[in-house]
Parts: sequence; structure tokens; C-alpha cells
Amino acid sequence: MPGKLKSARTAVLALIAGLLLAPAAWAVELTMYYPVAVGGPLTKVVDGLVADFMKENPDIEVKAIYAGNYNDARIKAFAALKSGKPAQLSVMFSIDIYELIEQDAIVAFDDIVETDEERAWLESFYPSLMENGITQGKTWGIPFQRSTIVMYYNKDAFREAGLDPDNPPATWEELVAAGRKLVSKSGDQVERWGVMIPSTGYPYWMFGALTMQNDQVLMNGDGNETYFDAPATREALQFWRDLGAVHGVMPSGTIEWGTLRKNFLEARTAIMWHSTGNLTAVKKNAQFDFGVAMLPAKKRRGTPTGGGNFYIFKQTTPEERKAAMKLIRFLTQPERTAEWSIETGYIGTRPDAYETPALKQYVVDFPPAAVARDQLEFATAELSTYQTGRVRKLLDDSIQAVLTDQKSVEDALGSAQEQADRLLKRYR
Amino acid sequence: MPDRTRLVGNAAYGWLLLLPAAVLLAAFTHYPAVATLAQSLFTSGTALRPAEFTGLDNYRFMLEDEVFWRVLENNAWYAIGTIPISIALAMLMAVWVNRRLPLRAFVRMSYFTPTVLPMIAVANIWLFFYTPEIGLIDQIAAGFGIGSHNWLGNPDTVLGCIIVLTIWKEAGFFMIFYLAALQSLPPELEEAARLEGAGHWHFFRRVTFPLLMPTTLFVLINAVINSFKLVDQLFILTKGGPDNASALLLYYIYEVAFSFFDQAYASTLTVVLLAVLAIIAIGQFVILDKRIHYR
Amino acid sequence: MVAIELIRVTKTWGSTVAVRDISFEADEGSFVVLLGPSGCGKSTTLRMIAGLDDVTSGRVLIGGKEMTGAPSAERRVSMVFQSYALFPHLNARENILFGLKARKVAKAEQRDRLVRVAEMVGLADLLDRKPAQLSGGQRQRVALARAIIAENPICLMDEPLSNLDAKLRHEMRVEIRALQQRLGMTTVYVTHDQTEAMSMADQVVLMRDGAIEQQGPPAALYDFPETVFAAGFIGTPPMNLLKVEEVGSALVIAGTDGPAVAEAGYGNLVMGIRPEKIAIADGPGIGGRIESCDYLGADTIVGVRVGSQSILVRAHGRHLLPAGSYVHLHWQTYEVHLFDDETGARMTGARSLPIAA
Ligand SMILES: Nc1ncnc2c1ncn2[C@@H]1O[C@H](COP(=O)(O)OP(=O)(O)OP(=O)(O)O)[C@@H](O)[C@H]1O
Ligand SMILES: [Mg+2]
Repeated sequence: MPGKLKSARTAVLALIAGLLLAPAAWAVELTMYYPVAVGGPLTKVVDGLVADFMKENPDIEVKAIYAGNYNDARIKAFAALKSGKPAQLSVMFSIDIYELIEQDAIVAFDDIVETDEERAWLESFYPSLMENGITQGKTWGIPFQRSTIVMYYNKDAFREAGLDPDNPPATWEELVAAGRKLVSKSGDQVERWGVMIPSTGYPYWMFGALTMQNDQVLMNGDGNETYFDAPATREALQFWRDLGAVHGVMPSGTIEWGTLRKNFLEARTAIMWHSTGNLTAVKKNAQFDFGVAMLPAKKRRGTPTGGGNFYIFKQTTPEERKAAMKLIRFLTQPERTAEWSIETGYIGTRPDAYETPALKQYVVDFPPAAVARDQLEFATAELSTYQTGRVRKLLDDSIQAVLTDQKSVEDALGSAQEQADRLLKRYR
Repeated sequence: MPDRTRLVGNAAYGWLLLLPAAVLLAAFTHYPAVATLAQSLFTSGTALRPAEFTGLDNYRFMLEDEVFWRVLENNAWYAIGTIPISIALAMLMAVWVNRRLPLRAFVRMSYFTPTVLPMIAVANIWLFFYTPEIGLIDQIAAGFGIGSHNWLGNPDTVLGCIIVLTIWKEAGFFMIFYLAALQSLPPELEEAARLEGAGHWHFFRRVTFPLLMPTTLFVLINAVINSFKLVDQLFILTKGGPDNASALLLYYIYEVAFSFFDQAYASTLTVVLLAVLAIIAIGQFVILDKRIHYR
Repeated sequence: MVAIELIRVTKTWGSTVAVRDISFEADEGSFVVLLGPSGCGKSTTLRMIAGLDDVTSGRVLIGGKEMTGAPSAERRVSMVFQSYALFPHLNARENILFGLKARKVAKAEQRDRLVRVAEMVGLADLLDRKPAQLSGGQRQRVALARAIIAENPICLMDEPLSNLDAKLRHEMRVEIRALQQRLGMTTVYVTHDQTEAMSMADQVVLMRDGAIEQQGPPAALYDFPETVFAAGFIGTPPMNLLKVEEVGSALVIAGTDGPAVAEAGYGNLVMGIRPEKIAIADGPGIGGRIESCDYLGADTIVGVRVGSQSILVRAHGRHLLPAGSYVHLHWQTYEVHLFDDETGARMTGARSLPIAA
């Protein structure tokens, strides 16, 4: 009798548990952090894309959480990791890769892909956008909100200065020459500068462009060596400083990243170097005819890539990884990529995105949208090493010290390299 | 004998009453402080390289860290720049606003406004003031034919700009304390002084100021702590730049902890910060307490 | 000479009238007491003399000079506040010297005056103490010293003794009066305690609801109160104020049928008689029954029920009469005060009658 009762009770309990747990058994829940580094209603676009995905995949529940800027996103992801309730995937700075590997936080996509089709998908992106995501022979990050630096210029100002608005400067020399003509003064007061390259926020990024143009990279592919005091690096910094101090085409001191777009839109500078992520905002707000061009060359053209990649965290079940892959693949489909690029100005991360009717048409209507893509041919990885925060700050500080005339180029870069060597030694 | 047990019982009872508070204090104040101290004696571990005991290595590294000395010096200037002026201004505004003015409530409110705004919002407003060419200051200066100035982009002016903003933010807050203190002073004191032929200044110097001393001590401690604590504006305005010219100790700690992910070194710097604050607080109490009249 | 003169002074705060059209004078060297119940405008009057409050209308003259709008510092008046208004962070010496320092009096002179004043008020040993370390009476002396060291011809005091216990209050009363006479200061002294007023004043200004009810020397207020209010305010216990009724051509105490106490024919009256002017006699007199006996030492306050009213009698010595016993009360005709029941004003024409059996 007791035995019978017991088994009956077990059966009921099992039934209840089954009912409660059954839906959870097939649905996968994903949490994804993503940052926004440039202005504009990007969160809405992301929410829209995620909603589309869930409609197609009703068994996967995605919580996309806006996590501030790149720095905040990294902090939140690490905090979640430590608390034991990590997200399954996240968009984070492409250069966070070494920190994430060092913390054993992420899995390589090579270890997740199963089919040949998936392996082919890994190859479908622009190679220069993959550089920051690949190390130790494996792919850890998939490009998503990626940008490069482009040159925005005010065509009206070009005309006014007697320059050809369809022929923007293509070399450093031309940049200086055009800049000189573009500076307009009333009395001693400069009303419009020739060019502005921002030097707060992400000075090392802008600098990556200048060094690449001088045919010099800032670090090796293993992220354990830097080339801060290479002669070509020094030349590049000298040129940046001289734009203000010698040629007088740029204000001296540092130039604020956050307000630069406003400076350009108010015609306080005729040329600005800025992220492609600003393209849509500039297009919407410019009161004048503007153009977008590739950055000029010294020995060659060049720009670092920038922005965020998808990462999948290690603390995940196989089902979650599969679902995360599904989400990432969905968001990087050519059509989604095209939509994302049009909405934001970020680069379409794969060539076939530019073959979609939507983006094709957009590029025809708005040729500047193609500049970033065309420039990818010359692009390289963004500065990213082990101890990347510290190493980056060393370079940032020395750039600012030189631009504000606190230190000579040799001193600043020399000591940055020395300290970077000390930091990176143990990773070699 | 029964008396004694009762005494022991009472003591136990007392301790039991204290227990919840003591547990909270230990959990949220003492434990983190001790943990920070302990962490400063280890290397920063990562998943692949676990933390190791290194003794005072982090402290040795700190002494050689140029940025540390730079932020310490900046912090000293920041303190010297903000504390006396914001306190003096607060006292002045409080005395002024305490008079029978027309629109007194409105004037008080407007002085108080900076305090209720979050620092981040304030910094965003001031970013617009300071921006070269298009900023408010430069536009006003241009009206007088003065050229543009790169306030935040110049290492010589950037810290001054941060100090001005901080004073603007803090003075109104401190004013509230002074205002409360002034209103608790009996009005007969001023009447008595007036009858004795004392002018406003004499009365302020001889009566108001000394009677405000307890408030001043309180405000001073707050101001000192704030000068080490208030760094939110840096995130918006300068990120500590150019070349660390506006970086302050706590901001640097943040950078080390969350950008460099070097918890151990961040702990080391935090220990220094705590030590500095403790020394200042003790010094203030010891020196000033003797010279303050508490009613 | 007149030291202080107020001419038709009025003070209003919005719609409240604190002081209503008052005029009085204080002779040089005299001690004038502003007396009245709480809220009647005494402090306000004093503050207008000091220049701490502006007058709404009227004039204030000090030493014969127009001072209506002058700042306090120019009026050369000192003031002792009810709360003493001592500076809590300064010791007694610094408190006393505060005004001299503000007026930049020479150091040597400061020292001389301090010694003299401290001696005078008996503070010589306490000069280094802060107010918190002094007793109420000692604080009072510091406040007094601060007022007199300025050597101003006029000193104003706003209920300076109200925070002290009865014994100390009595002592200080004597001291203040003596000091005032010695220094020849014109003093205006505010109190709501009529004993204080009677014992100290040369001149009493009795106020009620912002207006002056009666002014004159204490004896005049006591002997010839102009109004029922004045009669009832002064004296302990105050004057008996009795309802009277007309019986035939005479007035009797309400509820009795005689004997007559006053002539009828002057409208409704109130009869006043001071307790100390009533004798308990075997007869002839007005019959009544004992209600209570409060023995105070020197005398006994006996409550007697007469008709529908209670009459208090101050009897010399100790009287313990059992309640309910029947007694006769007797007084002299000239001790009776008659007031108009409606206006409260004294009826000079009406005559009281000798008490017949
Ligand atoms: N600042 C003021 N604003 C408005 N009304 C006031 C003010 N000061 C006094 N009054 C009013 O004026 C009237 C007289 O006040 P005052 O202080 O002169 O009375 P007082 O005779 O000194 O009374 P007390 O014996 O209680 O001190 C009171 O009704 C009081 O409420
Ligand atoms: Mg009063």
C-alpha cells in the first residue's frame, strides 16, 4: 500500500515536472551584449534585426542588451563572466581578443563550425576585417559593426578655396597644400581650419592610419611585439604634429573626438578624418555639399579597421553555441549586412553584401558609401596586443604628449616602446 | 553572583543588538578594505596565468610608475584648486542668500541647481562650453575679438578647466550646509552686534565665521574626499588627457582596473588612496577640532 | 530732560497691528517699564527704539534728536536681550568687550572699563569662561556688563530676568535697579510681570493689544487704575471686580439684597476693591461665607462668597476660618473704584456709599 502510493505520487510529480520543463527543453535562451560607439539610433536597428531572427527561429530567445561604449561592454561582459552568469555571445571591441583569450573566456569559431558550408562562411568576409579576429592560427571574432577611417571633406569649402571638389588630396603633400588653401582667417583669427584629425578617445587608431600610410604596422600578428619607435612610426607622428605646429592647417593641442563631427558640420574645418560610422549622421545633418574619400597616402594608402566583432563565450552548452552560431550567421547574411550598413554607415563586412540590390542601389545613389569598402584593400588590423589597454595607453599618451609639445617624437615614442617591451616580454 | 550573570547577560544582549550593524559594516566596509590590501600583494591573475604572491612588487612598480606620480601631483593641484575656492564661494553665497532678498527662493534654487544635476550631465554641458571654435566660451571670446583657445586640448589649461567645473558643481552643494547653519544662528546675535556698532564684515569675521566652523570642518572633509572621489567629469571631458594632464588618482585606478584589467595594481593604488584619505581625515580632526566651538 | 520720546508710533506686520499709535516719554535717568500681557507689543516697541525694527508711522526721538530712520549703531543705546544673545564662542571678557572692539576704542581704555564693569556686576573671576560654562544668572550679568560697558546713556532690557528662578530674579531686580541709579542710565525695561514693574519702575507704561492702557508712576496705577484692565492687571491678588445690581436707588453686589455699595443712576457699573483694603469684621458689613483660606506667611488670602460672587480678602497674619462660616466684610468708601461696565473706563462721577449694616 505505501509502495503503491509512493509510485503514484512520483508519477504525478514527473508529469508536472515534464509539463513545466518541456518547453525549456527545446528553447534556447541567448543573452548578447552589444556596444554603440557612434551617435544615432543604433539600438533600434539592432532590436529590429533580433526581432526578425526570433520570428524565423521561434525556439531561440535572444536578449540583446545595449551595454554602453566598447569599454563598458567589455567591463559588463567580464563582470557577468565572474558572477557565473555570463552571456553566451557578445559584440565587443575587435581588439579585446587577447584579453578575452588570456581570460580563457571565448571559444574559437574553428572549434564550433561543423559543416563545410560553415567553414566556407568563415571565409566569406573581407580579409582585412578578419585580421583582428585571427591569432594563434584560429578565428575568434566575426566582424559585425566594423569601420575604417575615411576623409570627409566640405566640397563647398574646396570650391571657395579654388580646389577641385572632385579631386580630394590623395597624398600627404597634397593634404598639406590643400589644407593651406582651405584655412580661412579673419584677422588673426582662424574661422575655418584645413584639416582636423581627432586625438582624444582613440588617438592610437588615427595614428594607425598614418603609420600604415608610411608603410609601417604598429604590432605583430601575435600581439606580443610593437613597433612604436620604428623610423617610419616616428615620421608619421612628426607629420601629424607638423600639420598644426609647422603647416598651420590644423589647430595645435589635442582635438576632441566627441565634438569633431560638430566642428565639421559647422564648417569649422574643411576636412576631417573620422570613422565611417559617422557617415549616416553626417549625411543627415550636413548643410553643405560634402564628399568622402580614402585617406591620403605617403608611401601607400592605409587605414586600420575598427569596431566590434562577435565573440562566443566558452561557458556555453553545445546547444547554446549552435544557437549563437545561428544568430551570428543570420546577422551576417548578405541582406542583413546590407541593411545594417545602410542604416549605420558601417562597412558591409563581406563582398556579396555589396551585390545585394539594396546596397547596390544605395551605393549608386550615394557613392561615398563605397569609399570605405574600396579602402578595405589597403586596410590593416587595429592596434591590439596582450595587455592591450596598457599598451594602447602608452601610445595614446605619447601621441598626446607630442601633439601638445610636451615631448619630442623621439622621447615619447622611445619610452613608449621601452615600456611596451617590458609589458610584452612575458608573452613572447 | 546573580548580579554578575545579569551584567554578562546585559553585555551579550548589547552585542546581539549591535550584531546586524556590525555584520553589515564588516561585510561592506572592512572586508573589501582588507581584501584590497591582500590583493595588492599578488600579481593580477588571468585564467591562463593564476595570481602569485609578489610581496611589495606592486608597490615598487608604483614608485617607478610615472603616471602614478603625475596623477598624484594633478590630484594635489585639483584639491588645492577646488577646496578653498568652493568653500569660500559656498560661504559667500550662503551669507548672501540668507539675507532678505527679493526672489530669495529663486536665487537659492538657482545656486542649488548644479548640485542636483548629475555630474555626467554637467560635464556634457561644460564640454560644450569648452569646445574650441564652436564652444560657448570661444564664441563669447570671438565677440570680443579674442582668438579661439583649445581649453581641453592644452595641458596647461585642461586641469584648470576641470577645477572650474568642479567648483561650479560643488559650491552650491556646500552652500546648502552653510545656509542650514546660518539659519540655526539666533538672529539676536546679529542684532546685538548691530547695536554694538559692528559692521557686516566685523560681525562676519568675529561671529558668523567662527560659529560656522563646525560646518566648515564638515564641508572641508567632504571637499577633500570629493577631490579624490569626483572624477566622473573626466570620462566625458578629457579621459585624463592630453597625456595624463588631467588624470586624477581615482580615474587612473579605474583605468588600471577596467581598461588594463590589472586588479592587483588597481588594489595597490586603492590602498594608497585610502591611506591618503585616512591621513587627511585624522589630521583635520586633530588640528581643527581644537579650534572649533561646538554648541 | 527727555531722553526718549515716542510720538504716535505705529507698527504693522502686514495686516497684524503690533503697536497702535502709542506716545510716551522717558525722562533722563528714569526707569520706565513697559508692562503688559504676552503679545501686546512690548518687544516691538523696544525694538523700534533700538532701531532693530522700522516704525510704520510716527517718530522716535532720542536725546531730543530725530532718530526715526537712523541705524541702530547711531542711536547710542544698549540692549539686554531676553535670551542674552551672548556670542557662544567668545568668553565673558570678549563678549563684554565686543562693542568696544567694534568701535575701535583704545586698548588701555578697554582694559580700564572692563575692570570697572566686571567689578560692578561681580564677574571679575569668571571672565575666561564661555557662556556655556556660566549659570543663568552669570550669563545675565555678562549681558548686563556688555550693555553698560558701552556707557551709552540709554539701556533697553527685554524681559531680562524671565529665564531665572524666583529668588535670583529678586536679587537681580535689586541689582539692576541699583546699577541703573548709580550710572544714571535711562532704562526702558520690558516685562509682563507686574511685581517687577511695581518694584522697579519710576514710570510704568501699561500696554494692551498694541495700545497704551495707562501710564504713570506705579503708585498712580495702583491707586487710580484708569480702566478695568489696569485694575485687574496690577496687584497680587488683583483687585476684586464685582458685578453690581440696582436695588431701588442704590447698587448692591449681585446676588445679595444689600447693603448698598454705591449710588445708582450711572448705568451699568463694575465695582472694584483691592483685597488688602477689605477687613473681615464682626459687623456691620456685607455678609458672606468663607470659601477658602490660603495662608502665605505674612498674610492669608481668604475667599469669601458674597451673593453670586467670590471676593478675595488679604488678611494680615494667619486666619484659619472653617469653610462655610459666616463673616462680615467691611471697607472704606474711598477704597471703592467704579468702572463703566461697557467701556471699562473709570467712572469719576459715581459715588460709593458707606456700608451700613
Ligand atoms: N516679525 C513679525 N512678523 C509678524 N508679526 C509679528 C512680528 N513680530 C511680532 N509680531 C506680532 O506683533 C505682536 C506684538 O509682538 P511683541 O513681540 O511685541 O509682543 P510682546 O508684547 O513682546 O509679547 P511677549 O511678552 O510674549 O514677548 C504679536 O501679535 C506678534 O505676533
Ligand atoms: Mg517680547
